[in-house]
Amino acid sequence: MNLKKIGILLTLSGLFLTACTNDYDISTPLGAYDNGVLILNQGNFGGGNSSISFWSNDFSSFEFNAFSSVNPSVTLGDTAQDLGFYGDKAYVVVNLSNTIQVVNRYTLEHLTTISNGLSNPRYIAFANGNAYVTNWGDASNAEDDYVAVINLTSNSVTSSIPVAEGPERILEHYDKLYIAHIGGYGFGNSISVIEANNNTVSSIVVGDVPNSMALVNNDLYVLCGGKPSWAEPETSGSLVKINISTNTVTSTIPYLLRDHPSNLIFHNNKFYYTVDSNVFSKTIEANTIPSTPIFSTTQQGVYGVYSFAIANNKIYVGDAADYNSNGKVYIYSLTGTLENQEKVGVIPGGFYFN
Amino acid sequence: MTCKNLHYWLFFLLYSFSWGQNDSIIRLNEVIVSDSQLKNFSKSQAVNTLNDSILNKNQGSLTSLLSTNSTIYFKENGAGMVSSASFRGTTAQQTAVIWNGININSQLNGQTDFNIINPTDFTNISIRLGGGSVIYGSGAIGGSIHLNSELKFNTATSNLFRLNYGSFETYGGNYQLEIGKEKWAVQASISANSSDNEYEYIGYDKKNENGEFANQSYNFSIGHKINVTNFIKFYSYLFNGERHFSGTITVKSDDKYLDFNTRNMLEWILFKNKYTSKIKAAFLTEKYNYYENINSDIYTFGQVNSLFFRHDFIYSISKSITVNTLLDFTESDAKGSDLLTKTRIIGTGSIHWKHKLSNKLDYELGIRQEVTDTYESPLLFSAGTSFSLTDFYTIKANLSKNFRIPAFNDLYWLGSGNPDLNPEHSLQGEIGTELNYKNSKFVLTGFLIQLKDMIRWTPNSNGLWQPENTQSVTNYGLEAQFETKKSIDMHLFSFSTSYGYTVSENNKTDKQLTYVPNHKANANLAYNYKSFTSYYQWVYTGEVFTSSDNFYKLDDYALSNLGIDYNFGKKKTYLLGFQVLNVTNEKYQNVISRPMPGRNFKLYLSLNL
Repeated sequence: MNLKKIGILLTLSGLFLTACTNDYDISTPLGAYDNGVLILNQGNFGGGNSSISFWSNDFSSFEFNAFSSVNPSVTLGDTAQDLGFYGDKAYVVVNLSNTIQVVNRYTLEHLTTISNGLSNPRYIAFANGNAYVTNWGDASNAEDDYVAVINLTSNSVTSSIPVAEGPERILEHYDKLYIAHIGGYGFGNSISVIEANNNTVSSIVVGDVPNSMALVNNDLYVLCGGKPSWAEPETSGSLVKINISTNTVTSTIPYLLRDHPSNLIFHNNKFYYTVDSNVFSKTIEANTIPSTPIFSTTQQGVYGVYSFAIANNKIYVGDAADYNSNGKVYIYSLTGTLENQEKVGVIPGGFYFN
Repeated sequence: MTCKNLHYWLFFLLYSFSWGQNDSIIRLNEVIVSDSQLKNFSKSQAVNTLNDSILNKNQGSLTSLLSTNSTIYFKENGAGMVSSASFRGTTAQQTAVIWNGININSQLNGQTDFNIINPTDFTNISIRLGGGSVIYGSGAIGGSIHLNSELKFNTATSNLFRLNYGSFETYGGNYQLEIGKEKWAVQASISANSSDNEYEYIGYDKKNENGEFANQSYNFSIGHKINVTNFIKFYSYLFNGERHFSGTITVKSDDKYLDFNTRNMLEWILFKNKYTSKIKAAFLTEKYNYYENINSDIYTFGQVNSLFFRHDFIYSISKSITVNTLLDFTESDAKGSDLLTKTRIIGTGSIHWKHKLSNKLDYELGIRQEVTDTYESPLLFSAGTSFSLTDFYTIKANLSKNFRIPAFNDLYWLGSGNPDLNPEHSLQGEIGTELNYKNSKFVLTGFLIQLKDMIRWTPNSNGLWQPENTQSVTNYGLEAQFETKKSIDMHLFSFSTSYGYTVSENNKTDKQLTYVPNHKANANLAYNYKSFTSYYQWVYTGEVFTSSDNFYKLDDYALSNLGIDYNFGKKKTYLLGFQVLNVTNEKYQNVISRPMPGRNFKLYLSLNL
C-alpha cells in the first residue's frame, strides 16, 4: 500500500473519530485501526481464510475484513492462532501456514512475512528485542517441540529452545518467559520458564492442561483445565499460584471434576474465566471456586466461549458457532448485560486491543 | 520415477507377456457377474453402464471417469488426493461402492475414496441412481457405484495392454487378460499409476508441491463350472497406494498417506430348475498409515479386517414371479492408533420380490432388517414399478427407505467417538421417464429425499468435536440424460449429455449443504471415421458453498477435454491417442484453497492383442 492511501485512511478515520463523542480518552489515532480491537479470526482449517476484523472501542465503527481491505493482494494465511504487539508492529502467528505475518499494528499494512524456522507455531511474546514463539513441531511427535527466538531486526529465527510437549500460551515478565504446556496431542502439566538473557529453561509442575495464565504482582496464576471427560481418567481443573521469585507453587485451588475452566483474565482486582458457556469471576483472596457464574452466554446461542477478553470494563466473547460459518462477537458489561454484537470472520480466536 | 516404482513397472511388463496367446475356438459367449441384483432388481431405477469406449477415453482416476460421465459431484482435495462422491446432494457416506455385489465402503470413515480405485481393473462399471440400501446396505442413499469383474465363458482369449503418459510426469499402465473356455473363465488385470503431480497453481506463482502419488493394483477373477449344476468363482482385488498429501495455496505440506486394501471372495453357486443358491464368503482388509511428516518415522494408522458371508437364494415361483432372499453376516475387527479396538457383528436378512404382471408392467418389492448390538437399525424397504406405455416410452417409480450406519471412526475415535450413534435414515422417492427411440435415449428423473438423524461432527461446549445424529436434510432435484448416435456413411457421431439440478437443504437453517452444487452438467461428443476417432468432453460444476452459513463459496467452472485417437491395427485394435485436458486452461478450485491443474496433456496407447 502506498503512502497516499494511508493518508486517506488516516484522514478518514481521524474525521470519523472526532465526529463521534464518547467517554474514551482518544489520543491522536496512529492509524485507522487505533483505539479499537483487532479480532483475529482463525478461518477454516485448511481453508486459508484467516482474517482480521476491527471494532472501535466505542463500537461505532466495525470492519469485517480489515486486513484484506488494506492488503488486497496479501493472503493472511491458514489458521491464524495468535497476535502480539511489539512497538508499532503486530505479529500474527499463522499456525497451519507456519508463518508470522508482520504488519503495522495501527494501519494493518503488511510489512513482511517470517516463514523459516517455524513448525506448527502457536503463541508469541517478546523480550530483549526478540520474539519468542511456541512451536509444537509435529503434533504426533512429543520430542520436537520448541520455542523459536526471532530477532526482530532481521526477522529471522536465531535459535530454537527445546521444551516439553505442547507449548501453548507464553507470557513475558521482566525478561522471563512463562510457557504453559497444554500438551499437544497428549496432556501437559507444566510451566517452562525461559530466562531471556541466556535462554536457559526451568520447569514447574502444575495441574493438568494449563491453558491460560495471569500475572498478579509477584505471582503467576495458572488456570489448568484438567483432563477432559474422555481422557480416562478425567481430572479436575485447578487454579495454581506460583511465586515467581522462587518458581514454586504456593497454592492450588481445585475445581469440580466436571468443570473444565479456561480463559483466565485478571481485571480490576478480580479473576475472570469461563467454563463452557458460563462466565465466572473470583476475587483474588477467595480460597474456593465460586459455584455460580456471573452470567451465561447461552441466551445468545453461544455453545462454549471460544475467545474471551476484558477491556474498558467490557467483556468480549468470541463465538465460533459451528466452526465453519462466520463467528460472532458479543460485548457484555462486567455484570453480564449484553450490550453489543457483531458478525465476524470464521472462528474468532482472540482479541488484541490497540 | 523412483526405483520402487520402476520395479513395479518391470514386474508389470513381464507379467503381461507371460500369458499365452489367443484361442480361436469361439462358442456361445456367456457373461457371468456376481452382482445379479443389479440386473434383476433395479428395473424401477436408472442404471447407467459405462462401456469400453468410455473406459478407454478416461484412463485416469475413477473420479475423473465418473465426473465426466455422470451427474455425480466429486470433492477432490487437490488432483489425485482424497476424493469423495456426492449423489443427488447426499454426502460421501451416503454413496455406496459395490465390488462384485458387496459393499466396500470403508468401515473406518464410511465412504470410498475414488482416487484409490483404478477403473481399468474392472470390465464393467455401472452407476445405479437412487436408494438401494435394501439390497446393498449402508450408504446406498444417493446411489451406488458398481465395480464388476465379468467372467466370460466360451470366448476368445484377449490381452489388452494400455499405457499412458501425461503432464506432470504422470504414468499409467494396465494389462487385462480374459480367458473363456467351456469350463473355465479368467478375468485378470494389473494396473500401476504414478505421478509427480507438481502442476502450477494458475495465477498464484506456486506449484502443487508434495502432491506425488503412486499406486499398484491387481484384480483376479476366476470361474469354474464343476458340472451342470455347480459353479465356483473366486474374486481377488488388491490396492496398494502411496500419496503425499499436497498443500494448499497458503500451507506447505509434508505429510504422506499409505493405503493398502485387499478383497477376496469365494462363491459357490448351485443351479437347480426352480432355484439358484449362492454362497459367498469374503475377507476384506483395509489399512491406512498416515505420516504427518514424510521425514519422520512416526505415523498413525487404522485397520479393519472384515469377514463376510452371504446366502443368496433366488427362487422362481412362476415364469413371472421371482423371489430373492439374502442372508448376510459381517464381522469387522477394527484397530488403530486413534481408535478403540472393537469388533462389530451385523446380521442381515432381506427378501426381494419381482413380479412381471404383463409385458408392460413390472413391480419390485424389498424389505430388509439388520441386527446388531452396536446400534438400532431401522426396517428398510423398497417398492418400485416400471411401466412401458409404448415400446419406446417407460415410466419408472420407486419409493424406498435407506440408511447409512455409523462407521468405526464415528463410534470409536479416541476421545471423540460417540458409541450411542444410530444410523442415518432416509425416506425417498423418485419418478422417472425413459424414452428410447431408434438410436436415441432420453431419461428424466425427479427425486425427493428426506434424511433424518444425519451424523454430523460438531464441537460441544468444551470445543471437543463429537458426532451426533443431529441434522435433518431435504434433497430434491431433477436429472436429465440424453444420448444419441448417428451415422452418415462411414462417419459415426455419438453424443451424450446429462444435467443434474440438486437442492440439499438443512431443514433447520434452510441453507444449502456445503459442497453440493445446484447445477452439474456434462456433455460428450465423439466422431469416428474409419480408424480415426476424435472426441470432446465438457463438465460443468456449479458454484458450491464452503461454509454452512452459505457465506463463503467457490466459483463455478467448466472443463473441456479434447481427444483424438487412431487405430492402426488391422484385425486387432491398436489404439494410439492424444488428449488435451482442461483445454481452456480454466483456473478453478474444487475444494477451497486447493487449485486444480490447468491445461495438460496425455498420450495413450491401447493394444488389444
